Amino acid sequence: MSRSGDESRSQPPSQAASERDQTSNSDGECQNECDCESEHNHNHERTLPFPDSRSLTGLRHWLDSHALALLALATAAVLAVMLYLPTGVVLVNAIVEDGIPTLAPFVDVLTDSFYFGVLADIFADPLAIGEHLHALAGWLAAISISVGLEYRLPLPFVQFELPIPWVGVETPGVRQGLFGFTAYQAALSTIASVAIGLPAAYILANYEFYGRRTLRSLTILPFVLPGIMVAVGFYAMFGQSGTLNTILGGVGLGPFAFVESNPLAIVILAHAFYNAPLVARITVAAWESVDVRAVETARSLGASERRAFRDVVVPQLAPAVLTGALLTFIFTFMTFPIVLALGGLQLATVEVWIYDRIQRLDYTEAATLAVLETILSLGLTYAYLRYESAQTGLSQAASPPPKEALFPDLQTVLSPRRLAILGYGLGALVLFVGPLASLVVGSVTDGGGFTLRNYAFLLERQLEGESFQTQPWPAIRNSLLFGVATLAVAVPMGVVISVLTVRAGRSGTIIDTLAMLPLAVSGVVFGIGLLQGLVFGISLPGGWQFQVTGAVAIVVAHAVAAYPFVTRNVSPLLSNLDPAMVESARALGASRFRALLDVELPLVASGIVAGAAFAFAISIGEFSSTVILASGSESYTMPVAVERYLGRRSGPAIAMGTLLLCVTAASFVVIDRVGGRYEL
Amino acid sequence: MTELRLSGVSKRYGGTETSTTTDESESEAIALQNVDLTVRDGEFFTLVGPSGCGKTTTLRTIAGFEEPTTGTVTFDDDPMTGVPPEDRDVGVVFQSYALFPHLSVAENVGYGLTFRAPPAGLTVDERVSELLELVDLEGMGERDPAQLSGGQQQRVALARALAPAPELLLLDEPMSALDARLRESLRRQLSRIQSELEITTVYVTHDQAEALAISDRLAVMHDGEIEQIGRPKDVYREPASRFVAEFVGDNNVFDGRVVDHDGEHATVVVGESGSGSGIGTGTGTGTGSQTQRQKRAQTTFTIAGVPTDATHIAICVRPGALSRETAQNQLTVDIETTEFLGERVRVHGHWNGVPIVLRLAEPPSGETCSVGFEPAAAHVISSSND
Repeated sequence: MSRSGDESRSQPPSQAASERDQTSNSDGECQNECDCESEHNHNHERTLPFPDSRSLTGLRHWLDSHALALLALATAAVLAVMLYLPTGVVLVNAIVEDGIPTLAPFVDVLTDSFYFGVLADIFADPLAIGEHLHALAGWLAAISISVGLEYRLPLPFVQFELPIPWVGVETPGVRQGLFGFTAYQAALSTIASVAIGLPAAYILANYEFYGRRTLRSLTILPFVLPGIMVAVGFYAMFGQSGTLNTILGGVGLGPFAFVESNPLAIVILAHAFYNAPLVARITVAAWESVDVRAVETARSLGASERRAFRDVVVPQLAPAVLTGALLTFIFTFMTFPIVLALGGLQLATVEVWIYDRIQRLDYTEAATLAVLETILSLGLTYAYLRYESAQTGLSQAASPPPKEALFPDLQTVLSPRRLAILGYGLGALVLFVGPLASLVVGSVTDGGGFTLRNYAFLLERQLEGESFQTQPWPAIRNSLLFGVATLAVAVPMGVVISVLTVRAGRSGTIIDTLAMLPLAVSGVVFGIGLLQGLVFGISLPGGWQFQVTGAVAIVVAHAVAAYPFVTRNVSPLLSNLDPAMVESARALGASRFRALLDVELPLVASGIVAGAAFAFAISIGEFSSTVILASGSESYTMPVAVERYLGRRSGPAIAMGTLLLCVTAASFVVIDRVGGRYEL
Repeated sequence: MTELRLSGVSKRYGGTETSTTTDESESEAIALQNVDLTVRDGEFFTLVGPSGCGKTTTLRTIAGFEEPTTGTVTFDDDPMTGVPPEDRDVGVVFQSYALFPHLSVAENVGYGLTFRAPPAGLTVDERVSELLELVDLEGMGERDPAQLSGGQQQRVALARALAPAPELLLLDEPMSALDARLRESLRRQLSRIQSELEITTVYVTHDQAEALAISDRLAVMHDGEIEQIGRPKDVYREPASRFVAEFVGDNNVFDGRVVDHDGEHATVVVGESGSGSGIGTGTGTGTGSQTQRQKRAQTTFTIAGVPTDATHIAICVRPGALSRETAQNQLTVDIETTEFLGERVRVHGHWNGVPIVLRLAEPPSGETCSVGFEPAAAHVISSSND
């Protein structure tokens, strides 16, 4: 058979000649195809498992071969309009005043000690180095270190106060400013998250016990829990009338005003609630990929168990821990709902302050702060991405370290190590399960007694509330609708970006970095961009107005926040696929797009489902940009409703938070059921 | 069927993209340099060479996964420039097999029939079972690829590539992941199938023994260039270059200076170091064996088939041609290792700084072994007259 005959098999002979795109085929060889074509066609159309190629018109053939490029263009268009335009609008707002470019707002902010504390003086007069050094020396000289025993722990039931040795470091106060404080709380939160996350990683990676796999999977859960709900949960757990005080009251202690007397500590704990599981998750993955044979080799070369751990295991864990710490710092640097709900303006971070400026309609200052914050977080994110990509060489261990039974028998339970693990477990229970359980319990109790008052309030609001009041059902409906719409936009976007970046080499890295911008742009910043750019409208020449409002704007904001997680879930699986897989499909006659549909997507289905679950959860829990975009409109979601109910009485908010928890949990059960089919 | 031709095919990677970051010599990685070859209709053609020689790049250029920087690939005189792989009608089997794990064996074999109709008079199902029968996997159609052994997976990959009756079969080291015994039996099976179907086949391997055993003709590649194309026995007997002589089979290569030529035989001085200026100079440390070597360093060989005007030549002598019974062209080899191969032993050693391989019926006793070869047993791989 001749070459030309074979080529035309993909098209019926009658259409091939007329509809073939002449320019895309270098060889115009369609003349003698009929002789050999007739013998194939008969079986061809009867037996094909896929839609037969007879219905392939020239247009479809063209679409087929260009589908990937078209999808990429669509993705780029969505990103340009919905991500880069709003971000650009914020930047323009910050540097253009009355149509004239100016850096005055930046200078104002940088030299204001309210924002930058002591650094403001340096920014104001960077050349007066001697003066600044002198100030530093004076400050260092004023530091004193002391050891005291003034802290005493009152023991219940016995009349004795246990003295606790305490190293006191007395430092003269430093004006941190808003940015300094934001970094300070982020650093503390990072330390707390690593401190709480590492023991969990140790236990999960080294011990086998009932429910270990489930627990490991659950470490992903806090990440997708709505921040505002967690904040309310912390109120219900640690508040004046919270669960912890109720329990402590049972043994004659307290009540302690945990939240009220030390809001920063509670905020940091709440951050740890989110990020310690993240640190644990990343570290466990690294720990389990340590090749036990490397440890055994070190032991056979004379290293003690401890030494082998230090020389072989620790160097492999350190990058993972650092990755987790870096991510934690980025996330907590941009924290918003937790601080807003638990700290208020007295603990204002940059993000909260920007939100406050917007509420006061001071857009220029908000935009200036937003640009500064974005520059900082972009730098951190870039560092993270660079660092992460340097880690990709980590191999999958052929033989991961064996796991010990956690509690093999009663005697080992009493060993110091096992007791420490038990103690840690109890603490983790208080920190991680406490807030969520308290949320549910708190919604049906009132000062110790069972009550349905909070739900009755919600019901009453739903049935009798005025239209301008926040009602529960529209919030639930909106959340679910936005979630599904977000899925529909974010999943194709994320997958397309994965496909484009995974094998594109250096240009792929650039696209990847550009596409990961949403990780570095906080929800509030993005919210102002959308508000000022798309919601208020952009004037186009010819009197047209480009405007995206309400629900559409919110879905866009959610999709843009969510697609990086689809990409992050799909890309690793895609890059692990044997490239010969796609090449085989193409050699067998599949177009690039067809190979994607037939081979790659089915094989990365688990990643797509995981990414979709993330996208949905992020949409359900998204608060920062939603609260800006939904203000004064009907498009509020459940987290926004929780915040609006959070008034003098926390009951209704707790009840609404419980509803949010139930809806989130129910959606996950559904996703798990549907997604389970695709598990390979 | 199809004749495949590559004319002046070159492939460069990187080029201007990296020239700013690395120095000039590395700025352009040349993968293929002016490759010309023709694979005849129905021929089993092998590309063989060490890793990085460009054989896989050549195969990928034929399949359409890479576009040549310059030069053309033609199938039956149809230029393939710009034709994507899916429109080239080739069957490819990769080293990793690349079976689709989410499809059954039958679905894998039938995948190509989605796009290309099965040969006349057959349904997809019939064609699939025909192919499974061809590779001795009848009744395995419903299994998952993961349930099969490596050899079975390899045969599924072959069946999948052959199902749409492609014009060309391209095999990229399809057996290098299998153990030696299995590889041999699959090789025979592949030979049988190929000659049964009379399909033009290009086979890529780094294993020269495999290439000699299986091919109608083969091309030895080195550093992106073709060193020699020919039938296995011609390439084996008459290597065209020093690289081919050393790469294909065991060989002993000597450099020498022609001092006399009687029209039939040349007298060649071998064992001079460098370009013939002195004997055993500059080799440094004067160990015992070194002095021994220097003592009998310079030897003359009588060689047939040397061009009459040649002054310097390189010759090769196959291990089998070096025999203890032959009195001509004697050399005494310092033995280093002896490998037992069953029917024969292979002896590695040195003579005069030249590594020597012998193939003997009995292991030699003692630390040296004297062998000789017939004047006609040496093959001249290069000659010059300056």
